Amino acid sequence: MVGRLKTLILIFITVALYACKDKGANEIPVSDFFNTPEKSYFKISPDGKYISYLKKYKKRQNIFIQSLEDGKERMATAYADFPVRDYSWAFDDQIIFSINLPNDKYLMYVLDVKTLQKKPLLSEEKVRVRVLNKSRQTPDIITIAMNKRDSAKSDVYRLNIKNGELKTYLLNPGNIKDWFVDADGSIRLAKSSDGINESILYRANDKMPFKAIIQNNFKNSVIPIGFTGKKNYFYALSNVDRDRTEFVEINAENTKEERVIYANDKADIQRVDYVRSKHRLELAAWDEAKPKKHFLDAAIKAIYDDLDKQINGSESNIAGRDTAEINIIDRDTAENKFIVTTYNDRSRGAVYLYERLGGKLTKLADNSTINPAELCAMQPIHYIASDGITNINGYLTLPLGVNKTNLPVIVMPHDGPFGGRNSWGYNADVQFLASRGFAVLQVNYRGSSGYGKKFLNAGFREVGGKVQQDITDGVNWLIANKIANAKKIAIYGRGFGGFSALYGVSFNPKMYNCAIVQDGLINFFSYINTIPDFYKSSLQKMYLQRMYEMIGDPSNKKDNNNLIDISPVFHPDKIKVPVIIFQDRLDLQANILALEDYVRDLRKRKVQVIYKKYEKARTTAEIDSMRVDRYTQIEKFLDNNMRVKH
Amino acid sequence: MKGPNTAYRKNFSLIVAFLVLVSVTLIVVLIVAYRFTAQNVNNDFAAKKNDVADQIISPYNYFSRSKIREITNYSGSLDSALAANYADSIFHDFNFVTKIVFYQIVVGNRLSGRAKGNNLGISVKATYQYYPNKRKVKGSKNENEINKNDFSQMADKLSDYITAYDTSRGPGQEEQGTFYNTRPGKISYLNVPNNEGLKTYHELQQSGRTTSLYKQNMMTFYLDPHKITFKNIHPELYQKISVRQINYDPIDIDPDKTITNEVAFPGALSDYKLYFSSPRDYLTAEINRRFMPIGGIILLVYFFFILIGWLIYRNLNVNLKLFKLQYDFINNFTHEFKTPVSVIKIAGSNLKGDNELTDRQRKHYGRILDEEADKLNELMNKLLSFTQLENKSIQINKDKIDIDHFVKGYINTFKIKYPDFKLSYNINNVNFFYTDEVLLGSIFQNLVENAYKYSHPEKKELFINITLEKRNIIFSFIDKGIGVPKNELNNIFKKFYRLENQYNQNGSVGLGLAFCKELVNFMDGEISVKSKVDKGSEFVVTFPYEN
Repeated sequence: MVGRLKTLILIFITVALYACKDKGANEIPVSDFFNTPEKSYFKISPDGKYISYLKKYKKRQNIFIQSLEDGKERMATAYADFPVRDYSWAFDDQIIFSINLPNDKYLMYVLDVKTLQKKPLLSEEKVRVRVLNKSRQTPDIITIAMNKRDSAKSDVYRLNIKNGELKTYLLNPGNIKDWFVDADGSIRLAKSSDGINESILYRANDKMPFKAIIQNNFKNSVIPIGFTGKKNYFYALSNVDRDRTEFVEINAENTKEERVIYANDKADIQRVDYVRSKHRLELAAWDEAKPKKHFLDAAIKAIYDDLDKQINGSESNIAGRDTAEINIIDRDTAENKFIVTTYNDRSRGAVYLYERLGGKLTKLADNSTINPAELCAMQPIHYIASDGITNINGYLTLPLGVNKTNLPVIVMPHDGPFGGRNSWGYNADVQFLASRGFAVLQVNYRGSSGYGKKFLNAGFREVGGKVQQDITDGVNWLIANKIANAKKIAIYGRGFGGFSALYGVSFNPKMYNCAIVQDGLINFFSYINTIPDFYKSSLQKMYLQRMYEMIGDPSNKKDNNNLIDISPVFHPDKIKVPVIIFQDRLDLQANILALEDYVRDLRKRKVQVIYKKYEKARTTAEIDSMRVDRYTQIEKFLDNNMRVKH
Repeated sequence: MKGPNTAYRKNFSLIVAFLVLVSVTLIVVLIVAYRFTAQNVNNDFAAKKNDVADQIISPYNYFSRSKIREITNYSGSLDSALAANYADSIFHDFNFVTKIVFYQIVVGNRLSGRAKGNNLGISVKATYQYYPNKRKVKGSKNENEINKNDFSQMADKLSDYITAYDTSRGPGQEEQGTFYNTRPGKISYLNVPNNEGLKTYHELQQSGRTTSLYKQNMMTFYLDPHKITFKNIHPELYQKISVRQINYDPIDIDPDKTITNEVAFPGALSDYKLYFSSPRDYLTAEINRRFMPIGGIILLVYFFFILIGWLIYRNLNVNLKLFKLQYDFINNFTHEFKTPVSVIKIAGSNLKGDNELTDRQRKHYGRILDEEADKLNELMNKLLSFTQLENKSIQINKDKIDIDHFVKGYINTFKIKYPDFKLSYNINNVNFFYTDEVLLGSIFQNLVENAYKYSHPEKKELFINITLEKRNIIFSFIDKGIGVPKNELNNIFKKFYRLENQYNQNGSVGLGLAFCKELVNFMDGEISVKSKVDKGSEFVVTFPYEN
C-alpha cells in the first residue's frame, strides 16, 4: 500500500514537472531572438584613434564615436527620423555617411570627427551609391560608383570630399556589372555581362580602352580580386575549366592562368583577404561543413592564432562549448589595432578591439542576448539522395534535452533556387524553432552554391524535380534514422523556399502537417519574366535566355507544361493541410492580386489558410517588432498544427 | 322523468353546435389552406427562377472570376500555340464562349507603340482568333477595327491605372477590375503584372527611359448565352424557359392567361435575360396538386374530431340508460317495501283499536305481522347480498354436498310454500358436489321461484335435471312457463330488468336473474337460457366438477 502510494506520488511529481516544462516557464521570449544588437557596424579610424559604430538614438541608428585615448563616447549624428544606413572612414578624421529618405532621396555627407560638423556631398533622387576606394595618397578624393545617369547603369565618379566636386571618371557603356579598383583608385579591370555571358575587361592604363580578355558562360565565373603588383597579373577566384572555384593568379595580358594559389577539394573558395595597398595576401576562406580558413601570411596567422587562443581558450561566455569563428573586419592603417568579430552556432558573438602590440583584447560589444547554453548546437549532416549517387549536405539543429529521437521536425529549405546555401553559424530562426522543441533541418539541395559548379548546375531545370526530391530525401533520412516523428513534420521557407514549402504540401501531402510560407514564389512564369533592375536594357533577352536554361522556357510546349505542373498557383486543389502565408505587399516578385486569388481559391476548398500581408518595415524597430509578430504567429500556428498528422 | 329528458335535450343541442362548429371550421380551414397554397405557388414562380438562372450564372461567374484570371499566371508568356491550348480548355469547359481573340501586347517606351499623353507605349504585336471546332481550335492572325478598339480601351485602362499606381503602396484590394473590360457579349482580360512589372511601368511612364520591351497578354472572350445548356429544374412551375434579348416583351401575351417572369444576366451577358412563362391553368394545376395532401390532412383531422364527438355522445347515452335503471330500481323497491309496510300498518292500527280482539284475531294479526316482517327481511337480505356479491366481499366456503338430499330439501320446502307447484327432479351419475351450500341454495331458490312466478297458474311445473357431463356438472331447470321472447334473451340477466307482464306485478324487483348470474360467475360457472314463448324456458347452470 505504502509502495503504491509512493509510486503515485512519484508519477504525480513527474507529471507536474513535465507540465511545468510544457508550459514553458523557462521558454525564451520570441523577442529575445529577433532584436538588433545595441551597437553595430564597428569601424576603426585610419589613424587608430577612434572607434565608431551605429547605435540607436530615438529609435534610429546614428553614428557614435569613441575615442580610444580617453574612452569617451560622442554622438556624431542625431537623426531622429531616418537611420544612418552606411558609413565609412576617410583619411584625416573624416567620416562619409549616407542616409536614405523615405521619398527615395539619397544624401551623402562628410563628417569631421574633431568638430562633428557635417557637410553635404551628394543629394540625388533614386540612386545607388557605392564607395569603391579611398586612397592614402589622395585623401580628399574618393572613388564612387553611382547610377545617377541611368538607373540601370552604374558609372564611376571621383568625389572630392573637401569641396564636394564630382568628376566623371568612367562611363558605363551599359553592360558593366562590376568595377575593380586599384589601391590608387584607378580602374583597370571590370566585369560586363549580357545576361548569359560574362566578360572580364582589362586595360593596361587609363588611356587605353577596355578590351574583353576572358569570356565566360554564366555557368562559369571569374571574380577578380586585385592586381598582384607584379607585371599585369591579378588575383581571382575562378572555376573556369574546373568544378570548384579556386584561388588563382591570372596574367591580364595573355589571359593565361599563371598559378593556383590555393584550392580545396571539398568546397569553392569563397573569400580571399588581400591588402591591395601592400600587395599582401592574408587568407583564403571557404565553407565546408563549418567555415574554414587557410592563411597565406605568417603575420596575420599569428594574429588569428593569438585571437583564437585568447577567445576560444578563455572566453567561455562567447564560445560556449563550441569554438567561435573569428574574423578581422577592420584595422587601422598602421595595422596595430584590429576590429574583430566572433560568432558560432549558438551565439551571435561579440565585437573586440585587438591591439597587436601587447596582444590586448578588449570586448566592445556582446551581441549574444541569450545565454548560449540555452541554445542548440547546429550539426552538419550529409546523406545520399534517392538517386543513389549525389551526396547532399545540410545542417540539423536538435532541441535541448536528452531525447534525440522521434522529434517534431521543421524543414527549412533556403531561398534561391540557385546560388543560395545554408552555412554553419548563428541563425535566429533556427534557434527560435529549436528552442520551441523542434528539430530543424536545413538542406543544401542541388543548385546550392559552394559545392562546385557541377552541383550547382545539377539543379538547373530540376526545380520541383530533383531539387525538391533532395528536400524530401532529407526528411526521409531523418525518419529512417528515427530522429523525426513522421507524424509531425512541417516545412517553412521564404522566396524559393516558400515555393518548396507549397510544392511540398501540394505534391507530398502525406509528409507534411502544415506549411509556413514567407514571400513565397508561387508562379514560375512570373519568376522567369521578372527581370531585375540591372537587366532593364537590351540585355533583357539574354537574361531570359539564362532563366530559360535554368528553369525552363515557356515558349517550349514541354517546358511550358512543366512550369504549369510545378507552379503552385495552378494547383490550389492539391493542398489539403493548413498553410500560413506571410507576404510583403511590395515584394517585387509578388503578384498580390494573383496571390490573393490563390488564397481565396484555397479557402473555397476548405483549406485552412492564414494570410498576412505586411508593409515594408522602415526602421530596425519596425523590423524587429514585425519579426516578433511573425514568429509569434508561427509559434501559434505550429502549436495548432503539429500535434497529430491530419 | 323530467331530469333525464332535460339532460338528453341538452346533449343533443351541444352535439349540433359541435357539428356545426367543426364543419364551419373545416370549410374555413380548407379555403384558407387553398389560398395559402395558391399564394405559395405564385411566390415560388417568382422566387425559384433564380435556381434556374444560377445554372447559367454560376458557370459564368466561375469563368469570369476564376478561370479568366489564369491568364495572369502565365505572366505574359503566352504565344499563339500556348494561347490555343488555353483557348481549347476554355471552349471545352465553357460552351458559351464562341470566340476568343488573343492579343500579344508589348509595353515599352512611347516609340515602341501607341502612347497617349505619356511615355508608356502599349502596342499589339499580334492578334489571333480562336473558334471552337469539335474540340479543336483554329487560330488566325487577325487585325480588324473591333479588335483594335477592344485593345485600345484596355490600353487606356492600363495606362490610367499605371499613372495612379503608387509604388510605395503596391496594388490595393479591389483592383482586379482594372484588368477587365466587360461589355455586352464580350469580356476582355489583361494579365496583371507583378509588383516589379507595375513599378517598372510606372517608372517607364514617368521617365520613358528604356529600350526594353515587356510582354503582356490580353484575351477577349465572345459569349453567347444561347449556347448555355440549362435544365428546367422546376417544370412544375415553368412551362417554358428561354434565353431572350433583354428587351423581349411580346405584346400578344395575355397577362390574364399567362404569367411571365425574367432574370437579367450579369456582366457580359447583360444583353440577355432568362424568360419564364406559364399559363394560368398550368399554375392552377400545380396549386391543386400541392393542395391535395393538405386538404386530405385537414379532412382526416375533421373525421377524427367527429369520431371523438361520437364517442363522447355514446358515453353520455350509456350514462343516461344507467341513470334510468337506477330510477326504475328506486321505483320498484319503494313499491316492494310499500306493500309489507302498509300491511303492517293496517295490522298495527287494528291491534291498536278499541275493540277487544278475539284470540283468533290476535293470532291472525300476529301471523300477518310475522309474515310481512319476513318479507321485508328477505328483501333487505337480497339487496345486501347482491351488493356484497358485486363488490366481491363474500367468501366461498366449500362443503361436501349430498346432491340428492340438497335438491329434495328445496323441493319439499317449495311444495309446502306453493301447494299448486308440480316439482320433479332427476340426478344422473353424480352423488356429491363440493361447493358453497348457501350460494348454491340462493341460485336454486331464485330459479325455482322464477319458474313458479312466470308460469300460467294451471301450468306451474318444474323439472330439475342434474347430470355430470365430461368435467362439468350441469343443473337444468326446465319449466313450462310463459317463456322469454328471443329479443329479450340477452337482457334478462341484466340488473333491474323485468319482463313486462302480469306475472311480476308484485314481489319482484328484477334482481333475481342478475343476482343468479353474478353468483354463478362468482363460483366460476356459467348460466345460459333457452326459451320459447308460451312453451317454457330452460335455464342451464354449469359448474366445473372437481373431485
